[in-house]
Amino acid sequence: MREIVTIQVGEFANYIGSHYWNFQDELLGLAEEPQGDPVYKSSSLNMDVLYRSGETAQGILTYCPRLLSIGYKGTLGSLSSSGSLSPRISQPDTSEIVTWPGNVTRYTAEPREKNIFLQSLCEEETANLTSKVTDQGSSHPQRQITDKERIECLENGVQYWTDFSKVQFHPRSLYELHGSWTDVEKFDNYGIGEEILSAGFQSEEMNERLRFFIEECDHLQGIQFIVDDSGGFSAIAAGFLEDIADEYSNTPVLLYSARSPASYKLGKSPKESVSRALHDAVSFSRLSSCCKLMVPVGLPSLSRSRFSSTLSVEDQKLFHSSAIYAASIHSVSIPFRMESHGVNAESLYISGAMDVGGMVQMLAGQARQNMITILDLAMPAQFLNDANNQSTILRSLCSLTPEIEENNDDLHSIESLIVHGAFSGGRRASISEVEKYIQTEYQNELPRPMAYHLTAASCPLPIPLPFPSIFNNRVGRRGELSTTRLGGAERRGSLEVESVPMAARLRSSSAVKPIIERRLGNLHRYGLQRGALGVELLRSWGFSKEEVEDMGEALRKMMMLLDPNADAASSEFDSD
Amino acid sequence: MSLRVLNPNAEVLNKSAALHMNINAAKGLQDVLKTNLGPKGTIKMLVGGAGDIKLTKDGNTLLKEMQIQNPTAIMIARTAVAQDDTSGDGTTSTVLFIGELMKQSERYIDEGMHPRVLVDGFEIAKRATIEFLEKFKTPVVMGETPDKEILKMVARTTLRTKLYEALADQLTDIVVNAVLCIRKPDEPIDLFMVEIMHMRHKFDVDTRLVEGLVLDHGSRHPDMKRRAENCYILTCNVSLEYEKSEVNAGFFYSNAEQREKMVAAERRQVDERVKKIIELKQKVCSGNESNFVVINQKGIDPPSLDLLARAGIIALRRAKRRNMERLILACGGEAVNSVDSLTPDCLGWAGLVYEHVLGEEKYTFVENVKNPHSCTILIKGPNDHTIAQIKDAVRDGLRSVKNTLEDEAVILGAGAFEVAARQHLINNVKKTVQGRAQVGVEAFADALMVIPKTLAENSGLDTQDVIISLTNEHDRGNVVGLNHHTGEPIDPQMEGIFDNYSVKRQIINSGPVIASQLLLVDEVIRAGRNMRKPT
Repeated sequence: MREIVTIQVGEFANYIGSHYWNFQDELLGLAEEPQGDPVYKSSSLNMDVLYRSGETAQGILTYCPRLLSIGYKGTLGSLSSSGSLSPRISQPDTSEIVTWPGNVTRYTAEPREKNIFLQSLCEEETANLTSKVTDQGSSHPQRQITDKERIECLENGVQYWTDFSKVQFHPRSLYELHGSWTDVEKFDNYGIGEEILSAGFQSEEMNERLRFFIEECDHLQGIQFIVDDSGGFSAIAAGFLEDIADEYSNTPVLLYSARSPASYKLGKSPKESVSRALHDAVSFSRLSSCCKLMVPVGLPSLSRSRFSSTLSVEDQKLFHSSAIYAASIHSVSIPFRMESHGVNAESLYISGAMDVGGMVQMLAGQARQNMITILDLAMPAQFLNDANNQSTILRSLCSLTPEIEENNDDLHSIESLIVHGAFSGGRRASISEVEKYIQTEYQNELPRPMAYHLTAASCPLPIPLPFPSIFNNRVGRRGELSTTRLGGAERRGSLEVESVPMAARLRSSSAVKPIIERRLGNLHRYGLQRGALGVELLRSWGFSKEEVEDMGEALRKMMMLLDPNADAASSEFDSD
Repeated sequence: MSLRVLNPNAEVLNKSAALHMNINAAKGLQDVLKTNLGPKGTIKMLVGGAGDIKLTKDGNTLLKEMQIQNPTAIMIARTAVAQDDTSGDGTTSTVLFIGELMKQSERYIDEGMHPRVLVDGFEIAKRATIEFLEKFKTPVVMGETPDKEILKMVARTTLRTKLYEALADQLTDIVVNAVLCIRKPDEPIDLFMVEIMHMRHKFDVDTRLVEGLVLDHGSRHPDMKRRAENCYILTCNVSLEYEKSEVNAGFFYSNAEQREKMVAAERRQVDERVKKIIELKQKVCSGNESNFVVINQKGIDPPSLDLLARAGIIALRRAKRRNMERLILACGGEAVNSVDSLTPDCLGWAGLVYEHVLGEEKYTFVENVKNPHSCTILIKGPNDHTIAQIKDAVRDGLRSVKNTLEDEAVILGAGAFEVAARQHLINNVKKTVQGRAQVGVEAFADALMVIPKTLAENSGLDTQDVIISLTNEHDRGNVVGLNHHTGEPIDPQMEGIFDNYSVKRQIINSGPVIASQLLLVDEVIRAGRNMRKPT
């Protein structure tokens, strides 16, 4: 078993993380359910990779994510920053104060109400406790809240990422950044994040908390890091990543830099758009410089993407869009936690185990050394051997990475494909079937990638109750896709869909060229050219001219790796 | 009210309205922080939306917890927090002083005085006050052996404004001894060499100074000793875990056997490193009762832990980077980055190393060290908010001791300086000023009185009576501060009430600068408008 520590930085990253941990929590629950689907019981996925066992000060055993979540102060909603495990003081009383004999003034912020979903979680927990104590739960004549009401309350009113989380967090997992009175709305560029990081002990506290989770790992395999790349959090993540690279130099970091659909609406005025362009360039350059593999994700719109054939996502809801990215990150993390009990056991439920280091090495460590990777997803994944439907798993994968070349025929691409919970005919496909099928598909695929790696698992993605209703009515109960629309509601959620088969792919390909190109171009146009509009801005963010030049140089090198002929093309930037 | 409320299209901004807005913001902030000041102030209990509790009597902490939207208030708050960053204290005083300068100015402005005149007066008064401060300060000589009593008095003055007396007095000894422990002749004091560790355990009065180090983790092997005496300490930054090295990871194995060989070879390298440590242990520990402790900044994996445990070595992994430095200062020896050149000289020494377990939290105490230059303040308390509040107080206490050592001077407290400085400005300086700037000097002088006034107010005394009796006593030629119990004048020297020189100096310097900016308000507004103009 080799541990992974997860870090989430920023609002959208925490939304994604919240869904991600809900999936894990659901898997844990399903594995324990006596009458549950055996596919979860024998998933051969080791949850200890992502979770840690511990105990509270009261001696109660706990099982919590190895997680450090960093957010802006006030974005935890009704959840206390010390997590949900520590006992809550219901009525904070001034007699609690033992250190001061004098006067006391109490300032009480308006309590954040838990929504129906969280309330029912709490009740369930206390009901469990009391039923254990009294043997027979006292029959409260309380009105039962239906699942439907819970789902509706989430669909209509998610304000914070904690609103739909059913996971218990460790007291050290949630860290709130103090912004010294920066307006949250103005927390939208690289410079402002840099400012906050430099104030006080904040970065030290972040490092300390991470150390707590890493110290207890016997064989840390890597860190998965999700950052909300739309604003100041990029700088916070970059600073943090730098410390990590310094302190844990041999630990591979898999970085997802995520952008919400909302972040594309920022920066309308010309001045703001310069700031946006420079933010993107600086953030991309800094983040990529201190991790081993970077996966930019976040389409401007999911409802107008190819995903709309199976999903109907409301782009303005972070609750919706984050669920898809969480599902894809879940799929990518499957090979990292496969238990290998020797050859035979492996082939039954899982195959293609790989650790974070192996994944990074495969995608970014080969001849071309490209570390910017594309994430593709099929949700739900197609049936294997689907006679009615011509599209295959490979063809049905759509990119979650924005700004890439659509029809790229890179002969040197390297792919890591993860298929889990796939169906063949009406039943779960066996691992060997999946392997055979994918192999045939790759043989028919043109252009074929230089190398690919397949991870297959029988365990599908479970859909937990707080998952948004984003499946359209082609998706069946077990995620099967029908060509005709099923009856019932337009949008199907956790009540209608129990699980979905998934396919996700990380792809190292020259199709990422436009991403780098655009950032390099903007850096030159606004930051380096004589009289450029953004020179002052970059200086106010704390970057000297030399540093900006270095960033440009680093981006140019990345371009060169993908396209050795690009040198001539980019020399136009040198002419000025 | 915020800047945004003003009509952005207005050609001519109502200057007087903007000015009053600034004054009101300053007064508002002053009102919030006012009750913090002094040993009779009010503690604030902040209860967050999710039920989180924060306790504070510290202006700095309170300001950071507040959600301030008014730009003027933000400007004042930033100045006050910067004050704390540079000098470690004085946040509340800064806010009070700025607020009072604005309040005093308001009177004159309402009478038709131009703000410019006041600002000129402030400048003169400020320079005179700084000069006066130099004369007023009590120099203390800090040689090889500093006067511990004076350090204690300064620390006690600070701590008693944050915690109840008995605890404050207990912490006074702790912080003074801590700073003296890490102090090295002819070197600046690095307060980071005092580790502040906390345990949610027992009571506030169990807080103590550990001469040595407390680490917040323990050994990770069941067979390692939980307590050991006479320990050699090896402080190192050496990876003792098997990890795919960069070179070999890119290597493609042609068959499983080859792969196994590679893995075995790498494992052997790690084992070699462990063996070198064990060899050193055997060299220094054989034939005597001593023990051997390895504290490593990098990881140690279970096979390595096994080897070490079997050799009777206690090993801790992933130590804080800063603890590497602290360990060397506490135990001696040197931090090693490689096991190739291990000699007994690299080792430090501690009389006692033991582990303390609280639930899932483990602590390792490295104590009874010889001649330590690093130490740990171990804060205990029943809950998080108590611990956090004590921690804030300890930080302030440490800063006050450090400041005293560096300033080589202290200022008499309990409002004594403010009373004296005001009388100096009114009786001596004002006369030398030509024209209306005199008014500015007077406003400045009166604003200084905000400190004794607030102290009196917080003690439930009549401010007018107090001020009159203080100034009378002063004019009789005595240095007087306020007795917060009786309201009578006292001699702060006798009572042992001292403040930091550098903190006071900083307040006198920064307060008028901000107040002047806020008074000359039309410039601020114009800048704001420019920012809004689309380019």
